[in-house]
Amino acid sequence: MSIKIDHISKDFGKTNVLKDISLQVETGELVALLGPSGSGKTTLLRIIAGLEFPNEGEGAITFHGSEVTFQSAYARKAGFVFQHYALFNHMTVADNIAFGLKVMPRRSRPSSTRQKQIVQELLEKIQLPEYGRRFPTQLSGGQRQRVALARALAVNPQVLLLDEPFGALDAKVRKELRRWLREFHDSIKLTTLFVTHDQDEAFELADRVVILGDGEIQQIGKPDELRDKPVNEFVADFIEVE
Amino acid sequence: MARTRHVLPGFRLSLGYTITYLSIIVLAPFAALAWKSSRGGVEIFTSTLTDKRVLASLELSFTTSFYAALVCGFFGVLTAWALERYSFPGRRILDAMVDLPFALPTAVAGIALCTLYAPNGWLGKILSPGGLKNLYVSWVETPNQWVVNLLEPIGFKAAYSSTGITIALIFIGFPFVVRTVQPIIQGLSLEVEEAAACLGANRWQTFWRVIFPTILPGTLAGMTLAFGRAVGEYGSVVFISGNMPFKTEIAPLLIVSRLEQYNYNGAAALGFILLVISFLILLFSNLLQSWNNKRTAR
Amino acid sequence: MAGIAQLNLPSGEDATRARIIARNQLARRATSDPLWMKATVLILSLGFLFVFFVLPLALVFQEAFRKGWEAYLKVFEDRATTHSIWLTLKVALIAVPLNTVFGLAAAWCVAHFRFRGKQLLSVLIELPLWVSPVVAGLIYVLLFGRQGLLGPWLFEKDIKIIFALPGIVLSTVFVTFPFVARVVTPQLQALGRAEEEAALTLGANGWSTFWRVTVPKIKWSLIYGIILCNARAMGEFGAVSVVSGHIRNQTNTMPLHIEVLYNEYQFVPAFAVASLLALLALLTLVIKSATTWFADRALRNAAL
Repeated sequence: MSIKIDHISKDFGKTNVLKDISLQVETGELVALLGPSGSGKTTLLRIIAGLEFPNEGEGAITFHGSEVTFQSAYARKAGFVFQHYALFNHMTVADNIAFGLKVMPRRSRPSSTRQKQIVQELLEKIQLPEYGRRFPTQLSGGQRQRVALARALAVNPQVLLLDEPFGALDAKVRKELRRWLREFHDSIKLTTLFVTHDQDEAFELADRVVILGDGEIQQIGKPDELRDKPVNEFVADFIEVE
Repeated sequence: MARTRHVLPGFRLSLGYTITYLSIIVLAPFAALAWKSSRGGVEIFTSTLTDKRVLASLELSFTTSFYAALVCGFFGVLTAWALERYSFPGRRILDAMVDLPFALPTAVAGIALCTLYAPNGWLGKILSPGGLKNLYVSWVETPNQWVVNLLEPIGFKAAYSSTGITIALIFIGFPFVVRTVQPIIQGLSLEVEEAAACLGANRWQTFWRVIFPTILPGTLAGMTLAFGRAVGEYGSVVFISGNMPFKTEIAPLLIVSRLEQYNYNGAAALGFILLVISFLILLFSNLLQSWNNKRTAR
Repeated sequence: MAGIAQLNLPSGEDATRARIIARNQLARRATSDPLWMKATVLILSLGFLFVFFVLPLALVFQEAFRKGWEAYLKVFEDRATTHSIWLTLKVALIAVPLNTVFGLAAAWCVAHFRFRGKQLLSVLIELPLWVSPVVAGLIYVLLFGRQGLLGPWLFEKDIKIIFALPGIVLSTVFVTFPFVARVVTPQLQALGRAEEEAALTLGANGWSTFWRVTVPKIKWSLIYGIILCNARAMGEFGAVSVVSGHIRNQTNTMPLHIEVLYNEYQFVPAFAVASLLALLALLTLVIKSATTWFADRALRNAAL
């Protein structure tokens, strides 16, 4: 499933957060949105998920050929993983993962035995097979983030969007989880877009990196291309500074 | 515990003063209550608890407080939600208004509510039997006989009944629910609601499956506080209740009438029972609060 | 609902118009409620507040002025009425400062120190809020009344507490006991003690630190606690009613006087006196909003 973003702009009051953004992410690709804080990268991700909406007028977001620009988040069902996990603390890990299945309309909702099966498969995929009965507050940060990922995957989303997925974790867990995510992505091949301010993370993980600055796309390319041939001073400075 | 040296001065002075003052104002009188109610022996408690009039008053206090707490819970959550999540003109004024029952003397609330719901009061006129019909007839030029017949039997006695007591207790208990729930709603993470939406839950499902379970313990704690306050309430109730023994006589009022009949032991026994009940309610509310804290801990 | 999932907007001339319509209809933020829900919640909660809060308040003033300004003012020429107002002011003037000093002492030791039994102390301070006002009066009757624990001794020495001013003051102190402490303690805790410690290292002694650093720091919540305490002190009915004995011109406070007038069917005087207390309540709410706003701002500034 591919994501196509055509000439999207976004204002918050008088501040112009995103200026005429166009971007295409191919099916199965893993793309990083990299930029300093205030560059608009999280806003762009939230617009793709339907948590924010772009300015009226021109511009559109297309998921594999069908336009979703003004669809609400609940109709769009992009898999979204938040920096601070946003798990439902009053539910067990298994109930968290099954949430998206339970709220499906009756016609398409899997039976409860099938739900349990899906949950167990996902728990195994995130390497927490024994943790279904625990509550999120009893897990470590890295474990919580994997649960959040499993919860997003349970509903078979068209795309996976990760907002600073490792931002709240300490350095060691970060590295481990980063490697794990790359392998995981290679095994499921889901179109994935993730936001980060850490260029090591972007360069190590992503097939392609999009550098955002001041609400504009500064450069798009493979990690090597960006390092070798920065197109402007902003990109050169940003990569240098980090 | 080892004696620790404190950097800040005044520990002994402030603690000593606090405990002395507390002992004079609170502990000594409570000791008197315990002494007086034990003077009558076990018999006075058993006779108090088997007295039909006492039982009727306790039952009335509990049922009316329970219904009042339910109503407060429902409207309290709605109001807290509106105050925290919606912006509308006059929101700040309403936010301040919620505390009115804390600031308005109970006697003033009592006579105001009584006059309001009395059969000839602004609301009592409409609520009493036939009230809606009269309203309809005076508003419509050519009343439809069928509608008149339909409206004729509708209505109930608001003041001087247990309904009136419940109305007064709703007024008293309302801010407890709002002020307990409001900070919880304020502390809800918007991301959690967004996560639910991204998983395909519509707003209604998000509310029932995510928001409601999160604010439920706090709501119950607030309702328990409202209930606890309502069981002991006196001033706002005595005017609207009518004070008929066995029918509209609440437990605190029975204490007063026992005192007026110089039945000190009987008053002390009933007072002691009420005190124990309010202590248990307070304990229960604290348990609910700590349950809530445990669940929402991050 | 099913249509949303398959949304495909037309292209061409109508495109822009269709987009704006689509945005207005569909593009609702995930955390905002649909219009019907907003409307329902607002109508129910505003309706509730109107019926339970606005109407009773409006009624107090309407009834007080039912026979016009002159009748209203005439109420306050009555000796029993003026006496009740003076008595109420006297009681508040004694009870509120007592509880303010206590509240500051309790807040100081609870907020700044750790000691055994602190939890119990906090519960005991809160307790009077949850005791029925009638029980609050009763315990003093049982302690100081003729049949009470100290009754015979007091009678011998000819000291009157119950059915006299001391009893009224004591029961008022009891019911308004926690207000200052429970408002000031959390504020003091939240603001921390760094400034006090800094003042002490600069050579200030304990008292001047308290007056020059602590009190200005917590002044808004202190004012809030005091006005809340005052509102309750002037308006207390149940506890005072039990200990006062309802002696006109001697032990009737304003709320008790209201009861007497109301039960004698003197509605204009009853509501006229009530209107004063209602005004006091409104003033209390105004000051409360202002002081919490200032206190929150102080807390935010401290956090920066």
